[in-house]
Amino acid sequence: MADLEVRNVTVKHKNLTAVSNISFEANKGEIIGFIGADGAGKSSLMHAIAGIIQFNGEISYNKYVYHSPKEAEKIKADISLMPQGIGLVLYDTLSVEEHLEFFADIRNINKDAKFLAYKEKLLHMSGLSNFTKRVAGNLSGGMMQKLSLICALLHRPKLLILDEPTTGVDPLSRIELWEILDTIRKEEGTIALVSTAYMQEAEKMDKIVLFDEGSIIAQGTSKTLIDSIRPFTYQEITEYKEDIITFDKHSYSLTPQKYEKSEPNLEGLFFINALKNNKTLPIVDIGQRKSSDEIPAMIMQAHGLTKRFGDFIANDHVDITLKSGEILGLLGANGAGKTTFIKMLLGLYPIDGGELKLLGKTIKNANDRMELKSKIGYVSQHFALYNDMTVRENLLYFANMHKIPLSSALQRIKRYSQELGFDKYMDKFPTEIPLGVNQRFSIAAALLHEPVVLFLDEPTSGVDTIARAQFWQILHKLKKKWGISILITTHYMSEAEYCDKVVLLKQGKKIADDTVKNLHKLHPEAKTFEDIFLTYFKEKQ
Amino acid sequence: MKYNTVKAYMIKEFKELVRTKLIILVYLLPSMIVIIFGYGIRLDVTHARLIIIDNDKSKISQMLSSKFEHTKYFDTIESNMNEKQALRRIKQAKTDAILIIPNSFEKNLLKGQKSELGVFVDGAFPTRGTTIQTYIEGTILSLVQKVLQAKGIQQKKLISINNRNLFNQSMRDENAIVPGIIGLVLLIAPAIIAALLIVKEKEKGTIFNFYASSLSKNEFLAAKLIPVFLLHSLNIFILFLIAVYLFNIPFRGNFLLYWLASELYILVSISLGMLISVITKKQIVAVVLTIIITVIPGFLYSGIIMPISSMDGVSQVEAHIFPVMYYNHIVYDTFLIGQGFHSQINLLYLLILIIFSFVLFSAGRILLKKEMK
Amino acid sequence: MKIFFIVFSKEIISFMRSIALVAVILYSFTADIYIAGAGMQIRPRNVAIGYVDNSGGGISQKILSHFHQPEFINPKAFTSQQALSDAIFNKEILVGLIFSSNFEKAYVNGHNTKLDVLLDATAASQSFTTLSYLQNIILNFEKIDIPITIKSHRLFNQNADDHSFMALAELLSIITLLTVILTAMVFVKEKEEGTWDIMLLMPVNPKIIILAKSASQVFIVTIGVILSLGFVVFGAFDTPLNGSFWSFILLTLFYGFSSAGIGLFVAAVSKNIMQVAQISIAIMMPLIFLSGAWTPIYAMLPIFQKLSLISPLRYYIEGSESIFYRGTAFIDLLPYFGGVIILGIILYWYGFKKIGNLF
Repeated sequence: MADLEVRNVTVKHKNLTAVSNISFEANKGEIIGFIGADGAGKSSLMHAIAGIIQFNGEISYNKYVYHSPKEAEKIKADISLMPQGIGLVLYDTLSVEEHLEFFADIRNINKDAKFLAYKEKLLHMSGLSNFTKRVAGNLSGGMMQKLSLICALLHRPKLLILDEPTTGVDPLSRIELWEILDTIRKEEGTIALVSTAYMQEAEKMDKIVLFDEGSIIAQGTSKTLIDSIRPFTYQEITEYKEDIITFDKHSYSLTPQKYEKSEPNLEGLFFINALKNNKTLPIVDIGQRKSSDEIPAMIMQAHGLTKRFGDFIANDHVDITLKSGEILGLLGANGAGKTTFIKMLLGLYPIDGGELKLLGKTIKNANDRMELKSKIGYVSQHFALYNDMTVRENLLYFANMHKIPLSSALQRIKRYSQELGFDKYMDKFPTEIPLGVNQRFSIAAALLHEPVVLFLDEPTSGVDTIARAQFWQILHKLKKKWGISILITTHYMSEAEYCDKVVLLKQGKKIADDTVKNLHKLHPEAKTFEDIFLTYFKEKQ
Repeated sequence: MKYNTVKAYMIKEFKELVRTKLIILVYLLPSMIVIIFGYGIRLDVTHARLIIIDNDKSKISQMLSSKFEHTKYFDTIESNMNEKQALRRIKQAKTDAILIIPNSFEKNLLKGQKSELGVFVDGAFPTRGTTIQTYIEGTILSLVQKVLQAKGIQQKKLISINNRNLFNQSMRDENAIVPGIIGLVLLIAPAIIAALLIVKEKEKGTIFNFYASSLSKNEFLAAKLIPVFLLHSLNIFILFLIAVYLFNIPFRGNFLLYWLASELYILVSISLGMLISVITKKQIVAVVLTIIITVIPGFLYSGIIMPISSMDGVSQVEAHIFPVMYYNHIVYDTFLIGQGFHSQINLLYLLILIIFSFVLFSAGRILLKKEMK
Repeated sequence: MKIFFIVFSKEIISFMRSIALVAVILYSFTADIYIAGAGMQIRPRNVAIGYVDNSGGGISQKILSHFHQPEFINPKAFTSQQALSDAIFNKEILVGLIFSSNFEKAYVNGHNTKLDVLLDATAASQSFTTLSYLQNIILNFEKIDIPITIKSHRLFNQNADDHSFMALAELLSIITLLTVILTAMVFVKEKEEGTWDIMLLMPVNPKIIILAKSASQVFIVTIGVILSLGFVVFGAFDTPLNGSFWSFILLTLFYGFSSAGIGLFVAAVSKNIMQVAQISIAIMMPLIFLSGAWTPIYAMLPIFQKLSLISPLRYYIEGSESIFYRGTAFIDLLPYFGGVIILGIILYWYGFKKIGNLF
């Protein structure tokens, strides 16, 4: 008998079935990866196992069988759950140190030397050692995630359930988090159930469970799963065909193609599955933009832009320029000042120093921004949506605010909903739908008025592979057809490769500003962009 | 009960209350309300604005006018305006009453002939109107009787009322109001904070920490409610000091009884707030609901505005459903009357407060579910 | 204008979606006001009277016969002064009359006569009124041979109907409470969820959004007011309406905007809903106190009288009372409109400045 057995579990939300009749098992010391599109049922199953939602079927952990949250009470001391959502379980007014104290105390941990050492280790690994006095409300999104994770690990749980713990976390920290996870499961024999949208992470797991529409469609080691799709994976095919999906230098097709094969990765699972279900990616076709205003050659010029919060300098004399038709990636560790920079560009924070020119216009005060508003699109890190209106109503509302005529608004909403794959969620409320879907439709909201420039703050965090593939297709189409310029922050290093230029920020300062190609030339030893990123952040830390 | 765990959770709650500045609500609000209402509310009508239109201009009519002038109840204006103009002043809310003295008032009075005085009172605020009318009529009648007696026209002596105001000799408004206001604020303030405590975590998502941990319902509630309870317990003393030293309210009763009843009452209030917090999903609903169901009954059934015994049938029943009546009985007793533990009624009401807190708390505890909805 | 309408309808839809909130609002405007109106009775009612009569009856009984329903419960006889005061201590009796043994004799012989009265003065307002009733009863009892008549007119609310007055006073307080809290919540929710940033970035004048959002809440409250007027104020209590209905609605609208302005102010200075709750209560308590609803402005301490000038509720309450009871002409209502509007404009100006701008 396995240490954790899930037998025929079904979870319903009101009338909606989130997962149906799921069974799987796990053993001590194993890390089980839950992967699948947003809304496939990963979170619901996690909630059921954690014993915080009613379910049908039975779950046995360490030979203790439970059928309801009430029965699960007995094993809750062994469980740790980190729910999905950035900073969801943190208290805004408590500091990092106080969070650790609190979580240790509610788990009734004996604070001996061993614990203190462990705590220091967690703090160090998460890079929060220097921020112990800072309150959670002032942490960046990634730091919040890290703090939530180490809080969940604090009592050395025997059954660790992490729902997208690394969403919004920078690559360096992700590696550190995985080290923590790996150590703890070896030391404690912990069973870890982890859902993730980063397939590089999934590859490190002992077993992967692939979800689709409430069911498990495949499970096995990373190797067996990759083997299963090897026959269908090719080198990048530039030719367009109905039955081929191309993303990230790979092409996938179920029917044999004359092209050369390539070594698949886990992301391929999603594309192959999509092909199997006849859900080929719809062709993104961006129509011509309506307005034909002259777009200046220089979209954004920032000289010595500086932002201080008290003694803390969030942006220290940052110079960045964005040219017309350029996609600029703004990268950096959590808390490096990326979001602050974007908020200054938008006028949501006052600028403490430096000069800013937007679309050829020098920005001195709010009045200078008035006429630029209709040319700028923005997606914030915490998707800003009205939770009491359906997706359709939200989009219509935003369209109206942009003064888009109703007929074209409806047309665009319909098109975006299909292209970004959230059409079946149109009449649902944002609180009822998965994070990734929400993020997709905030992107749609930012595109409704056909802006000249897009400021995107981590638009792809937590978004599933296929949606990201589509998202980047859209960005490139937009660039080609509309000549749109984009400033984007992301933690997917593979996405940096799609940018024309990348800027690296570290502790508020710019440390690199070049094309990806040039950076590769500078660092010939690096295989991927992630390696380059890590050299910048590791060596100088 | 895991003592350490509860303690840690409580410390966290304390910190949050302090850092979200909610602590200000805990201490500033009750004192502020007691001070403002204590200084502000006047049940007695004083300085009512009276226009006297004296058409007689005789000695007696002048005496009458000056009698009105020299009481604290009226601020008089003697005027020659006509009745219509004066009535317009009432409509503009620039005066509260008009007294019209007819032109042969003195002559008729001395002859023993009937004369008619006109009094117009703004009845928009009914009690105030009635009181002003009573004062005016009383002033006129007693003056006239004195005049007649002095002139020897009427021989009969008068019945004078010799009133002894028990418990509140000086008939000070403060004595009557401040203890009642304590009953009001100790119902509202703890309830509002308790009402936010759980629903706040539901809205933010931190409730997962409770759902997913081995913390039991009792421990969770203890951790949530004890800090509020302790913080507000201090208010019992603060409000006592304000009442006794700032407003000079006598304290004739048993302090232990006051303290005990107040603690129980806070428990009732917190349990009510917690129940609201458990059944609502949004903070805004919790806040509005708490205010609506505490503020108005708190006022109505406090006994400040009217004694419960004077209420109609339905209101009587309602008054008995809300805890404020029981607590206020005890508070008035401890401040002004002083029967203390000897009174059967005080003991009974103490018991009723215990039942209230028990019922409300149990209801909240049962409805609190340790799982997602 | 179209934007205004869109924001407005969006807020109405959001409001309707929160069934709990709708229910609470409906309750506030109907049942709550009904309870306040039906329960409140400031005139003495059912006052329990006890007496000790050592005078041997006659005049004392004549005086006692004047204490009758509904103001008083039939006087209850006690054998000794001690028994009477015990009853007062236990709150069984509110007023005690003591007729001494020489009471009748003194009165008949034309000597000065004293009537001893014991009052439970913990309920001061009742005691005051009871005392003045008593005075009147005795004056009435004696005045038969006084050659004057006082012709009293209690204007506007002849039968001194407490119910309708209290219902109206409650309605005015509810309007204030709900407009301030609802408006503040609407803005703070957007601030908390980050949608307010998005709104500021829209190519729309944020002032319009702010106005539309507060207008929607004022509208919700106005609907509540109309329901309340129809079902409770006029329906259940037969409140007189001596002035113009439309003046009242107009004044309510303007006042609604003023209090929405307070809500906007609260939202501008608070970061989350917890703070909204606390700041709005801290602002509203003095506001209601300074309005003259509880104590007439002229009877307040001078400093409070000055402060009351900045309470829009002061103008609203006096204005509404004038419309309902005094039947004041529109021209004489203008000061109230003026006060409410000027305060509203100042509050909006601050709100616009504080949350309606990019940097």
